[in-house]
Amino acid sequence: MEPQTLDSQLRESSAPPDDIVIHAHDLWKIYDMGTVKVDALCGLSFSIRRGEYVAIMGPSGSGKSTLMNLIGCLDTPTHGQYWLNGRLVSQLTDDELAYIRNKEIGFVFQTFNLLARATALHNVELPLIYSGTPVEERLMRAEESLRLVELGDRIQHKPNELSGGQRQRVAIARALVNHPSILLADEPTGNLDSTTGEEIMNLFDRLHQSGNTIILVTHEHDIAAHAHRIIHIRDGRVDRDEPLE
Amino acid sequence: MTSGQTPARSAGARRRELYNAWVTAREAFWIALDALYTHKLRSFLTLLGVVIATTTLIVVMSVINGMNLYIANHIANLGANTFVLSQFEWAQGHAAWVKAQRRNKPIRIEDYEFLKENLEGYKAIGATSQYPSRSAKYERQILYDVSLTGVTPSMIDIGQQRVELGRYITEPDYLHAAMVCFIGQDLVDKFFPGADPLGKEIEVNGRVFRVIGVARRIGTTFGVSQDNFVQIPLTSFQRVFVARPSINISVQAWAAAQMLPLEDEVRTLMRVRRHLPFTEKDTFGINASATIMSLWERLTGSIFAVTIGVVAVFMVVGGIVIMNIMLASVTERTHEIGIRKSLGARRRDILTQFVIESAVMAGAGGLIGVILAVLISQIVERFFASAVPLSGVFLGLALSAAVGLFFGIYPASKAAKLDPIEALRMEG
Repeated sequence: MEPQTLDSQLRESSAPPDDIVIHAHDLWKIYDMGTVKVDALCGLSFSIRRGEYVAIMGPSGSGKSTLMNLIGCLDTPTHGQYWLNGRLVSQLTDDELAYIRNKEIGFVFQTFNLLARATALHNVELPLIYSGTPVEERLMRAEESLRLVELGDRIQHKPNELSGGQRQRVAIARALVNHPSILLADEPTGNLDSTTGEEIMNLFDRLHQSGNTIILVTHEHDIAAHAHRIIHIRDGRVDRDEPLE
Repeated sequence: MTSGQTPARSAGARRRELYNAWVTAREAFWIALDALYTHKLRSFLTLLGVVIATTTLIVVMSVINGMNLYIANHIANLGANTFVLSQFEWAQGHAAWVKAQRRNKPIRIEDYEFLKENLEGYKAIGATSQYPSRSAKYERQILYDVSLTGVTPSMIDIGQQRVELGRYITEPDYLHAAMVCFIGQDLVDKFFPGADPLGKEIEVNGRVFRVIGVARRIGTTFGVSQDNFVQIPLTSFQRVFVARPSINISVQAWAAAQMLPLEDEVRTLMRVRRHLPFTEKDTFGINASATIMSLWERLTGSIFAVTIGVVAVFMVVGGIVIMNIMLASVTERTHEIGIRKSLGARRRDILTQFVIESAVMAGAGGLIGVILAVLISQIVERFFASAVPLSGVFLGLALSAAVGLFFGIYPASKAAKLDPIEALRMEG
């Protein structure tokens, strides 16, 4: 079933089927800049199934970042519905969004966004702290997550003692630690050289194979080529939505 | 998961929320300590106000407490269950004292004899008369500011003195107005270091007295030695110094419960003896330890009130400085806040983190203040009275932490309200 047809089958304000992890329907984001109103997203719709590996591409100013913020529950749309893992999250308050971010979303940022003064282990622990996980379980899961990205021997290192690739792997371990519904990566190789970037992408591939849903936001075709489907955004709308071989 | 908005609020969920809060609070505590450790100098400067406030509070409390203990043990200690009949009431305002100056008549030896005859139910009764401070001389040595007191033999049972060597003034000494004296340790130190003072003759105010006993050392009160005294029989005192001295009469009751009845009886006897009509006030004073303590407490109460004002000002200034540094810290760590929010920190978590950081910082200031105060108090204790009260330590710590909490709220709520996207964009 093509996503577009699936989308048309879904009526407004009814929950999507269980295997749909993300369902966006007619998303609008309008920034009010006083005198002018800027439409960053203009009625954008798409769905993503559980276990998919999707790249979102688009030139700068296409609304890519805005969409990423919406998908990542950092922001809410002006109009429209956004269903994440069977829950309508487009109208939630700040704290409810924080709860969703904690449980459902694993962020991987271009600039890693690790706490500089904390060890790798503590950085990975953070999401578990905010979900109120007991200490022993927290340490166990954080270590496990770091082993998963092959940093089991670097857990006490601080970010400045790690290479760029290692830092990004710490960030991925952190994104994975709470077993989120989606892994949302924003230009994950943007600050890395191509070899390291390739390593990171291989890691994403592996994670996808083990069942994670991955959404890559990028403008690099090489990176997007790792995904199995590319959604092209232009002027706040879905321009093309195509599967890759 | 169904399409609920927030998780259902069952008892379990609430317990989990509480546990969450505890986890984040504990986390915030370590973050705070780490921040303090990382910025040592800045933290110290920030905390100066709170440190000074806490130190001031505890030092003043310690000194007042120490003086209270001293007053209770040394000055107000007239003896167990003892009160003193004297010309004036001790604990009264200046105006009342000026008035009493005209009305009150001195207590005389005859009053003492009269009370001794007519008072019933007392354990001991004694009389003393003080001579303005004098010098004592032995061979070529002179000791100044020696307190000279004429006493009855019964005073050994009533007053503070205990016999260390020899004996106290006895009935025969008293009856025969013997030229003997009972001396304090200061005179021994000065005149007879390493020698036996008993039987030696010292000259007090030009008269020669033979030493018959030495008192046990008492110590100093507010830096004034309490061992610099000579006691002689009251009869000898009359014979050679003042023929008709004004005296104080000490009356000791058998038990604390009999103090008031005994005081009343003395009052009645004295009023009858002085023919005072019932409309007239007493022309004498009856003083108990409680009277002195109440005067003292009135005095320290006003000292303490002033201190509270000063401490409050310091605390507010200290709190504002903390608020300022916390605002700076929030700005400096905007990116960090963004990261934490993106990972699921709620407003409450960020709020807790910064409020706790502020409280821990101020609390650390309080702790430094307490330590400083204890050190100062120990120095003060050497030449003055001071004793750190436990309540002061707790008050200081609690107050400083409360100041941190209060002044941390505004910066923390600013941090909590930051937009995660804006905050993440801020380069840290």
